Amino acid sequence: MFHIGKSKEISRRAFMHRSSQLAVMGAASGYAMGLAGLSDAAAFDNSGGYKALVCVFLLGGNDHANTLIPFDVPNYNRYAQIRDTIAIGRDPLAAQVLNPLQPQTLTDDMQLALAPTMPRLKARFDQGVMAPLLNVGPLIAPITKQQFESDDVARFPRPAKLFSHNDQQSTWQSGSPEGSISGWGGRIGDLAASSNTNSMFTAINATGNAVFLSGDQIQPYGISSNGAITVRALDRRLYGSQAASDALRTLLTAGNGTVFGNDYAMANARSIQFSGFIDDAVSGVSLGTQFSDSSLASQLEIVAQLIAARSALGVTRQVFLVSTGGFDNHDGLIGTHEGLLAGVDTAMDEFYRAMEEIGAADQVTTFTASDFGRTLASNGDGSDHGWGGHHLIMGGAVNGGQFYGTAAKISVDADDQVGRGRLLPSTSVDEYSATLAKWLGVEAGEIPIISPNIANFNSPDLGFMRASVPAE
Amino acid sequence: MTDHEQLDLQDRSELEYEADDAPNHGTGHDTDRDPQEKPPSKTSLAAVSTIALATAACGGGGGSGGGGTPPPTGGGGTPAPTALSPDTDAQAARFALQAGLSVSTGDILEMRSEGYERWLDNEINQPIERSAQQFLSDIGFEAIDAEQWFFRSDPADYMIWNQLLTGSNSVRKRVALALSEFFVVSVNNIQIWPSTSIGAYWDILKEGAFGNFRDMLEAITLNAGMGVFLNTLGNQKADPATGRVPDENYAREVMQLFSIGLFELNIDGTERLDGSGNPIETYDNDDVTGIAKVFTGYNYSYEGNITFQSPPDRPNLNIPEARLLRNPMTANSFFQIPNRGDQHSMEEKSFLGVTIPSGTGAQESLRIAMDTLFNHPNVGPFFGKQMIQRLVTSNPSPAYVQRVAEVFNNNGSGVRGDLRAVFKAILLDDEALSLQSLADPTFGKLREPMLRFAQWGRTFGARSETTAWLMRDLSDRSRFLSQSPLRSPSVFNFFRPGFIPANSQAAERDLLAPEFQLVNETTAASYVNFMERTIDGRGFWMFDIKATYQDELEIVDDTDALLDRLDLLLTAGQLSETSRTTIADALNAQTVTATSSEEDKLAQVHRAVLLVMVSNDYLIQR
Repeated sequence: MFHIGKSKEISRRAFMHRSSQLAVMGAASGYAMGLAGLSDAAAFDNSGGYKALVCVFLLGGNDHANTLIPFDVPNYNRYAQIRDTIAIGRDPLAAQVLNPLQPQTLTDDMQLALAPTMPRLKARFDQGVMAPLLNVGPLIAPITKQQFESDDVARFPRPAKLFSHNDQQSTWQSGSPEGSISGWGGRIGDLAASSNTNSMFTAINATGNAVFLSGDQIQPYGISSNGAITVRALDRRLYGSQAASDALRTLLTAGNGTVFGNDYAMANARSIQFSGFIDDAVSGVSLGTQFSDSSLASQLEIVAQLIAARSALGVTRQVFLVSTGGFDNHDGLIGTHEGLLAGVDTAMDEFYRAMEEIGAADQVTTFTASDFGRTLASNGDGSDHGWGGHHLIMGGAVNGGQFYGTAAKISVDADDQVGRGRLLPSTSVDEYSATLAKWLGVEAGEIPIISPNIANFNSPDLGFMRASVPAE
Repeated sequence: MTDHEQLDLQDRSELEYEADDAPNHGTGHDTDRDPQEKPPSKTSLAAVSTIALATAACGGGGGSGGGGTPPPTGGGGTPAPTALSPDTDAQAARFALQAGLSVSTGDILEMRSEGYERWLDNEINQPIERSAQQFLSDIGFEAIDAEQWFFRSDPADYMIWNQLLTGSNSVRKRVALALSEFFVVSVNNIQIWPSTSIGAYWDILKEGAFGNFRDMLEAITLNAGMGVFLNTLGNQKADPATGRVPDENYAREVMQLFSIGLFELNIDGTERLDGSGNPIETYDNDDVTGIAKVFTGYNYSYEGNITFQSPPDRPNLNIPEARLLRNPMTANSFFQIPNRGDQHSMEEKSFLGVTIPSGTGAQESLRIAMDTLFNHPNVGPFFGKQMIQRLVTSNPSPAYVQRVAEVFNNNGSGVRGDLRAVFKAILLDDEALSLQSLADPTFGKLREPMLRFAQWGRTFGARSETTAWLMRDLSDRSRFLSQSPLRSPSVFNFFRPGFIPANSQAAERDLLAPEFQLVNETTAASYVNFMERTIDGRGFWMFDIKATYQDELEIVDDTDALLDRLDLLLTAGQLSETSRTTIADALNAQTVTATSSEEDKLAQVHRAVLLVMVSNDYLIQR
């Protein structure tokens, strides 16, 4: 319960105070610092208090078929027959069956169970705050298997460089293969930035640089799991010399007339100008929720701390990116993958608890994404690169406890797949992103900026988000 | 082969099970929480030191005593060396820093008298000094004992930092490092004998740096570490009964990343376009499935009577000798343990317009596949452009790429893939050497963090007190360099060759800036913090490595002389007047004379080195 107006003013003053201590020289213009040019009147709904999206990217291509596993006997038997040595046993699935809160019939009367190592998210499904989205992947327009196999790219367009890690990571995040320079998280941020007093904290990246959070105007702030990193020698003498410390400040932010030199000076300037502010804001936060000791959990922990400090940071709309790797399980799928999912289960649940603790559970929506799904067929002890896959959405504003999208048949040759059980997506990433963007406040007319192919699909809103959240 | 019979009884499944207990580096992109935060335990350090001291006398100190093999020569008559010589010390330093890991005043003298090419030839012809294998076995990192070196990857860091921070072969190592970012294997993903595995891989890159691309492609394909990393190891032929098909991982990445790339290229590296103006894909999924069959049947080769031992404290654990990891993988099940019979696919294998008839065995199939990839017209421009990016500039002109690709296609004596000729063509190209490029604000590249650290060590005489070079994995983004050699987060390297940082001047001009993928508000600050405590040796990671700053201390009372030297050796004389004045003023604010205390002199050297190494004139290599 805080008063936006007052906190905004405090936050702005605090930031300006810090900024005024710095002389940003050479290349570091206000525009490029992300301080100006963002208050254009984009159509954006910033009512209803704070809201944030948190993308959990599973690097390497999550094996969706061992994440949501058929439990009913006919479908389980098909699954076990196809997957052979990489099938999960049926017994431990019994406790993990996702029974929709409202009656729902899936393809071939399929019952789906969440992986045995994900009991916490199963409980969140039962609680109605988690929903799986089935067989989602990048598409330009709806496409059938026959159209796909025709190889007539002009008539039946499909995403470029399917099945390639780096390109499909980029395609999931931005809509096009590697080399793309703006992602849909960043483009949401472009529109949302004007809602924030301190627009430079609209997009925050807690993992390695990725295109997802780069907008046409905004640039993500990159934070570490250890918090904001400041240049220590700027706050004290450098090897005993104040003159050297002053020189350090000058050198770091001085462009040198070369393109790369100016760009590096800009990174330094952003680091100096923003990190101390973030550090101050987060230092006032103390979360009771304990996070476990994994990379993903510690990234989500710093995100939770930043959200807890939202008032001091001067933000009402934010987009975050965290990631965890190791999902390219061509070998050793059994064991490895279950362990990875256990890590996701634990970290996402801890994050949800932290959001409950700070009263932001309804304001924050976490969702998964990945390079691609994988083949249903086995290569002996793993699976290979695929296309569509299943993803999970969690938060108090999620219409949880039911499935979205269409379950694919358990098969390696049905019409909803393109060989070896690679799923032909029945829902597009554009529909996924459009639904999330709409919830955050992007107006209908602006959705194509986020999701450029949305006009080709039926559902600008897949319905997994509740229409509105209670005002704070 | 009685040993072999005996070894068949060993159960590797137990070994593999035990491997799960091993300290396991995260395979994710984020290494902020490194499960191996701690430096090696006191006891292990003590043990290492003792062994290291005991072996220091037999040439372990990083000199050129290592019994190297003569370098491979570049298949045929190369043209007579150009007589082109640098006109200034700065030009000489610039060339040495593009070609190698550091520059010394001796390099500059030699280059100015002999010319660029003679100096480069001399570098290339140097005998190969100490190998990774020698380092690891000399210091005892291949012993099967209670230290569990067989599960530990920290010796891989000691090995590679030893290679990069000291010793001769600067150019060979620089090129090998560039190759390690093209043919990527990461020690992070190797569980059994990770250090020996990656050491064997490094030795392939270093020894083959000036050999032939075709040989290197096959050697890295069969390397056991690569087999683990991209799943060729244990890859089986299809089983129609279960629906099992061959693993496609190596098949895909060897085409996408190690040879031909995604799109058909012109010789100048630009994309070929079809009639509608669209790029043309080099392969589709059927090609992947086809070539995947080539990489079936491979596993560890126990050839050479490799035996198993148990560490004294774990009698149930059977560990193969480390040298297993230096054997190329084999598809001959006779040398595999256990022998499950040949698993190589004998089906017809079709890819890239080539069909290998059914019934063709592993060796012949591999030969055809390697030849097909090697002879694809994309390789020259695809590989050549990335090597230019690593060594010289992020945005080479198409003509530069073409000149290099043409040398790849033919070294002048009809040999394709002569790497010695290719790297010479890259480094001696006018676009790399000319002063005009220095006037171009888009020329050059961001120096990679690991190269900055290596240059620091070599320039200022870094030494290892234990002689075991106990320097850690520096991947952590918030405290170290966000990059550590041979520890890429994935096969896609630390950064992508096509990366463009958003909202940057580079993006405005449509310029590639690969190394900027590592730069953000966190890593920019951690680099400064890391260097501050590296330079003065007070960082906790600096317990073994010390720099002497001997030459700098002698001139520390003369700011101009000190900055002349640092400017030359670190930035190749590219420190701007503005930066130099800023640094000089800061240094002159302290009074340091010939009679100042050692402590005051050192502090002044530290200030000078840090301020140069954080300047953008240094960070951007031009």
